[in-house]
Amino acid sequence: MPVLRSKPLLLGQLGFVADRRQRGLQVSNKPGFWARNEFLIRRLHSLTGLLPVGAYMIVHLLVNSSVAVSPETFQRSVFSIHALGALLPLVEWTFIFLPIMFHAFLGLAFTFGASPNYTEYRYNSNFRYTMQRATGLLAFVFIAWHVFHMHGWIHNDAWRHLIAGYGGMFHPYNAATSAAHAMQASVLYPVFYTVGVLACVFHLSNGLFTMGITWGIWISPKAQHGAKLVTGVFGLGLALVGITSIVGLYTLKNFAEIREKENTAYELLVETGDIPADPEKRDLSADESLDEAPPFEGAAAPKADATEKPAVSE
Amino acid sequence: MIAHSEETPSRPKPQSFTVKVLRKNGPGQPSYWAYFTIPYEPELNVISVLQKIAARGQEDGGKKCAPVCWDCNCLEEVCGACTMVINGKVRQSCSALIDVLLDEHGSTLELRPMTKFPVVRDLMVDRSRMFQALKKVKAWVPVDGYYDLGPGPKQSMAAQEAAYPLSECMTCGCCLEACPQYSKIELDQQSGESTEAFQERKAETFDANFVGPHAISQVVLFNMNPTGEMNKRERMDAITDEGGIQVCGNAQNCVAVCPKHIPLTRSIAKIGRDATFHTLKKWFDWS
Amino acid sequence: MAKQRVLIVGGGLAGLAATMKLAELGIAVDLMSITPVKRSHSVCAQGGINSVNDQTRQLGDNEWKHFDDTIYGGDFLNHQPPVNEMALWAPKVIDLMDRLGVTFNRTPEGFLDRRRFGGTLYKRTAFAGATTGQQLLYALDEQVRRWEVEGLVKKYEAWDFMSPILDDAGVCVGAVAQDIVTMELRSFRADAVVVATGGCGLIYGRSTMSMTCTGSAASRCLQVGAKYGNGECIQVHPTAIPGADKLRLMSESARGEGGRVWVPRTPQDSRSPKSIPEAERYYFLEERYPAYGNLVPRDIATREIFNVCVNEGLSVEKDRQCVYLDLTHIDAAELTRKLGGILDIYQKFQGVDPRYTPMKIFPAVHYSMGGLWTDYQRTEEGRLEVGSPKNQVTNIPNLYAVGEVDYHYHGANRLGANSLLSCIFSGLFLAPGLETLLKNVPEGQAAHERPQSLYDTALAKQADRHQSLLKNTGGENPYLIHQELGNVMTKAATVVRVNEQLENAIGVVHDLGERVKRCSLSDTGSWSNQNVLFTKALQDMFPIAKAILKGALQRDECRGAHYKPAFELPGLTSENYEERHQQAEQWCDKFQENVDKFLKSTIATIDADGEPTITYEEVDTSLLPPRPRLYGLVGADIIEKVWKERTSAKQAAAKAAKAAEVAS
Repeated sequence: MPVLRSKPLLLGQLGFVADRRQRGLQVSNKPGFWARNEFLIRRLHSLTGLLPVGAYMIVHLLVNSSVAVSPETFQRSVFSIHALGALLPLVEWTFIFLPIMFHAFLGLAFTFGASPNYTEYRYNSNFRYTMQRATGLLAFVFIAWHVFHMHGWIHNDAWRHLIAGYGGMFHPYNAATSAAHAMQASVLYPVFYTVGVLACVFHLSNGLFTMGITWGIWISPKAQHGAKLVTGVFGLGLALVGITSIVGLYTLKNFAEIREKENTAYELLVETGDIPADPEKRDLSADESLDEAPPFEGAAAPKADATEKPAVSE
Repeated sequence: MIAHSEETPSRPKPQSFTVKVLRKNGPGQPSYWAYFTIPYEPELNVISVLQKIAARGQEDGGKKCAPVCWDCNCLEEVCGACTMVINGKVRQSCSALIDVLLDEHGSTLELRPMTKFPVVRDLMVDRSRMFQALKKVKAWVPVDGYYDLGPGPKQSMAAQEAAYPLSECMTCGCCLEACPQYSKIELDQQSGESTEAFQERKAETFDANFVGPHAISQVVLFNMNPTGEMNKRERMDAITDEGGIQVCGNAQNCVAVCPKHIPLTRSIAKIGRDATFHTLKKWFDWS
Repeated sequence: MAKQRVLIVGGGLAGLAATMKLAELGIAVDLMSITPVKRSHSVCAQGGINSVNDQTRQLGDNEWKHFDDTIYGGDFLNHQPPVNEMALWAPKVIDLMDRLGVTFNRTPEGFLDRRRFGGTLYKRTAFAGATTGQQLLYALDEQVRRWEVEGLVKKYEAWDFMSPILDDAGVCVGAVAQDIVTMELRSFRADAVVVATGGCGLIYGRSTMSMTCTGSAASRCLQVGAKYGNGECIQVHPTAIPGADKLRLMSESARGEGGRVWVPRTPQDSRSPKSIPEAERYYFLEERYPAYGNLVPRDIATREIFNVCVNEGLSVEKDRQCVYLDLTHIDAAELTRKLGGILDIYQKFQGVDPRYTPMKIFPAVHYSMGGLWTDYQRTEEGRLEVGSPKNQVTNIPNLYAVGEVDYHYHGANRLGANSLLSCIFSGLFLAPGLETLLKNVPEGQAAHERPQSLYDTALAKQADRHQSLLKNTGGENPYLIHQELGNVMTKAATVVRVNEQLENAIGVVHDLGERVKRCSLSDTGSWSNQNVLFTKALQDMFPIAKAILKGALQRDECRGAHYKPAFELPGLTSENYEERHQQAEQWCDKFQENVDKFLKSTIATIDADGEPTITYEEVDTSLLPPRPRLYGLVGADIIEKVWKERTSAKQAAAKAAKAAEVAS
C-alpha cells in the first residue's frame, strides 16, 4: 500500500478561520463573524506584522544593539523608555503584547490551515513561503521563551521565586548588566538568541516583501524583484543589528563598574523625577559576584545567597 | 526553456521504462500503485503511453486490468483537461515528453492524480470547483445582449497585450495543485439530500473557500475590459469575500507551474491593491 | 412556453452561441457536453475569423466577395443562401465577439488588427494571438456561465449523447444520454434537440482534432434516420506537426504572417536548413502559384506538399514525410507577438524553437466539411429567412445541427478562418428559428406533455446496448481496431483518392465493422468506464467511415478537398493559339459535363446494419454560377476567358427569355 499524503485539514480543523467550512457541513446562508470579516482579519494580520510588531522589533533590536556602543548608551535608552512610568504597561499592552498575540495566534491558525509543499515544488518563492511559516512558529516559541527568560512572564513573587535563575532576569534599571548576566548564564543562550532573532528578522523582512504584494505596493515582476532586493538588504541589516546586540551582551565585562554607574544614574534620575523609583526593575544581586566567570555549564544555578539582600533605600 | 534539439545532449535511452500509476477505482476506494513496462520509442508523450496501456489491458505480470482512466481532449495544451502529477510535479500530460522525462528522472515515470481535487477514478479528478470560482467572481463582460450593437470599445495595443495572456487561462488547475493555500474539498451527497440541494451545498462550500489564483487573474482580466469595468465593484466584492484574495500566502508557485506562463502573481498583487482601495472606498463611502 | 426546453448537445462555439442566444430570448436550455464546455475542440482553432471590414472595403472588398471566395474555395458544393447570409453577418459577428471581450489583436490606433488568410486576397481575418478559437470560445463560455447563474441554462457536463428520441411520427422529442462518471443513463425531454458536436477526425485515428471528435453523436443521429451530407469532403490541413498521439495543427496564420514553405532541391539534403542557400531551396508553392504564393487554399497546399514528398521524393527526411515551414526570416519578437501561441506549441512538442529553426510539417486530417444534412428557408433574394424554424433543421423534425457537424457552409473545401465564423453564425442564427418553433408547438405536442413510455423505451434500448457491450466476449480489442480503422482511412480517403484503394478500404472497413461488434471490454465496471464509452464511440464511427468511403468512391471527379487524379481535367497542352482555344472549349465542355453530373450533395442514409445508401441532391447555386477552380492549371487564363464568355452568354439568354416572358 502506498503512503498517501493526506495533508489538508488535520490541523486546519483546529484553526478557527482557516477552511473552517471546508467540510461543507454548514449550509447556513449567513456566514459567521470570521467568515464575513475574513478579508479584514487577514489584512489586519498582515498590517500588525509591520505596525506595530515589526516596528517594535526594529526599535527593540536597535536599542539592544546600543549595548555594543556602550552599556551607558543602552541604559540611557532604557531609562527613557521607562520614563513613561505608570503609562508603560498600557503602552506595552496596546502596542506590543496584544498585537503580537493577535499576529501570533492568527498566524498559527493560518499556518495550520495551509499545506506547504516545498518538497515537491522547489522554487525560491516557495522556500520563502515555507520559511515564513517555519520562522513564524520558531518566533512564537522563541518570543515566548525570551519573555520568560528576560521578564519571567508574570509579576508574582512566588512565581519569581520558582523561576529564579531561569526567567525574569532582565532588570531595566540595571539594563546592561542584568541582560548580559542573563545572556552569559549559559553558552546555549546566545545560540538560542541568534536562531530566534534571525527567525524573527527573516519573518519580518520577508513579511515586508509579501506585504507589499498583499497590499499591492509592488505589482509587476520587475517591481517585485526590486522589492525583494530592498527587503533582503533590510533583513541583512536588521540581522546584523540583532547579532550585534547578542554579541554585545554576551561579551560584556566589568560588571561591577557598570553596575555602579547604573545605580548612580538610577539614583540621580529618581531624584530628578525623570523615572519613577521601582526596586522591582533593579537587579539587586551581589555586585561582587558579577565579575566572576558566568557558569558556562548548563543554566545558571539560582543564586540564593544574592537575592535576599534588602532593597537599597530610596 | 527547451533547448534546440540538435544541441541537447541526451542520455542514452533505455530499452524500456516503467510507468507507475496511482490508481483508485472510485471515491471512497483505496488507492494502489499499478506498474506497466513500456518499450521505449522516440517522441512519446504521457498521453501516448496511457493509450498504449489502454490498448494492452494488463499490468506487468500479466494481470488483466481496466484501462487507466484519465481526462484529455485537445492534446496540444490549450484545453486544460489532462492535468496530472507527473514525477511529483503538476503539469499537462500531453506536453510531458517521455524523452525529456527520461533524461531528467531515469527510467521510471510516476503518474498520480491531482491532490487538491476529489479523485473520480484513477487519474481523473473533479475540478468543478474551478468553474464555480469563475461564477463567484463574475468572470464575464456584462453586455446588454447579443443583437448587433456595433463594435466594442477601441482598445490600445498595450491593453490587448496585457489582457491576452490572462485570457489564455484554460482552467487546468496546475496553479491550484501547487498552491499551499488551496486545500482539497471533497463532499458526498448525503442520504436524503436531493441532487439540487447537494449542488447548492457544494457551491456554497466552494464559495466559502479559497477561489485560487486562476479566478483572481480573471478578475483582473474583466476589470480591465472597458465594459467589464462597469461591474468591477461586484467583482471586487466577490474577491474580498470569504475565500477571496486575502487567503493568498504569496508562495508564488502558481506562476511557476502555470503552463501558459500567465502572470498570476502580478494579477494577485494588482487585485491586492484594488482590494485595498475598494475596502477604503466602502468604509469611507468614497464615490 | 414556460416548461419548454431546448437540449443543446455540444458546447463548442456553435453550441455555446446557440445557448447564449436562446437564453437571451428567454428560452430554457439544457446544455450537454461530454467534456466541460470550456475544453471543447474549438479551443484548438488558432488563426482567426473572417469578415469584410472597413479597411478591405476600401480596397474593393465586400460581403459578396467574401461569399464568392467561400463558394469558390468550396468548389461550389456549398449551399449558397446560407453562405451568403453568413458573409453578410460576418462583420456583425466579429463586432459582437469584440463586445464580449475577446482579446483581438489591435492596431496602434486601437482598431481590430487583421491578417490575410488562404483563399483570399484581402486581409479579412481578425485574430487573438494564435489562439483565436480559444479566445472566442471563452467569451461564449463566460456568457453562458452568466446565464447559468441566472438560471436559464442548466449544464450537463460529462454527459455523452447516446441517441435522439423520436416519436412514432418521427419527430424528435428528446434524447438519451449517459453520465460518463456515474454511467447513469437517462432521458431528456426537449422540444428541440440541437446537435453541435463538431467533426469526426478520430475516424482517421490521428488527426488535428481533439479526442472527443469521434463523430459518434452525428452517427447516432444517422442511426435513427438523419441524413449525412458530403461525408467524403474531409479537409486535410497542409501544415501539421507529426506526433505519436496526435497531429498537432500548425496554423495557416504561420503562412499568413509570411511563413514560406520549401524543400531542399537536393533530396534529403543533410545540411542544416539555415545553411542551405536560397538558390538551392525549392519554394514550390511560390513558384507554382505566384499570385497566392504560400497562401493558396488549403486543399491545394496540401496536395502540393503531399506531391513534393510522395511523388517528387523531396521530403526533408528520409523515413518520414515532411517539408520546411520557415519563419526564420521574420523578427523573433514580432513572431512572438503575433504567433506566440502556436510557436510555443511547436517548441513544446518538438523541442525546437521555430523562431530560429524552420519547422517540419506535413498535412493532417483537419476538418469535416460534410456532416448532418440540414435545411434552410431561402428568401427571394437568396438569403435566409430570419426566424424560420427550417434553418439548420435536419431531416428529422425538431432535430437541429449547427457548427462543424452541419454540412452546408463549406462545400468541398473550407476556407481558413471561416470555420469559427460558421460555428458562431449558425449557432446564433438558429435561435430565433427555435423561438418560432417553440411558439408554434401544437397543443399536447410539447415535450413535457409526451407520454413517458416514449422515453422509457428509448432509455431501455440504450441500457440494453450498454449491458450487452459489457457482457461481450468476442475477444476483439477496441483500441487496436481503432488504430486499424485510422490507418485504412488515412491511406484511402485523405489527400489523394484512388478508386481501387477506396474499394479495398470499403472491404477492410466492413470487416473491421464486423469485428468491432465483437469487442470484449477490459473494464466491465459501472463507474467512469471510459472503456465502454470509447467502444460505443468506435462502433458508431463505422457508419460515418463507410459513408465517407462510399461517397468518395462514387464521386468520380476532383472537387475541393476530394481529389481523384484519375478524373482530373488536365491542363492545356497546345502552344498554338487556335488549338489552345479549341482545347479550352473542350475543357469547358468537360467541365460542364462534370458540373451537371457531380455538382450535387452526397447524401448518405444508414440502414439497420449501418450500411450507407448514397443519393444525390441538387445544390443551390442560384446566386453564383459554378466556374472552374484553376489555381495553377496550365492554360488557366484561356479557360477562364472561354468560361466567362459562356456564362455571360447564358445569362444574356436567360435575361432575354425572361424579357420575352414578361412581354408575352
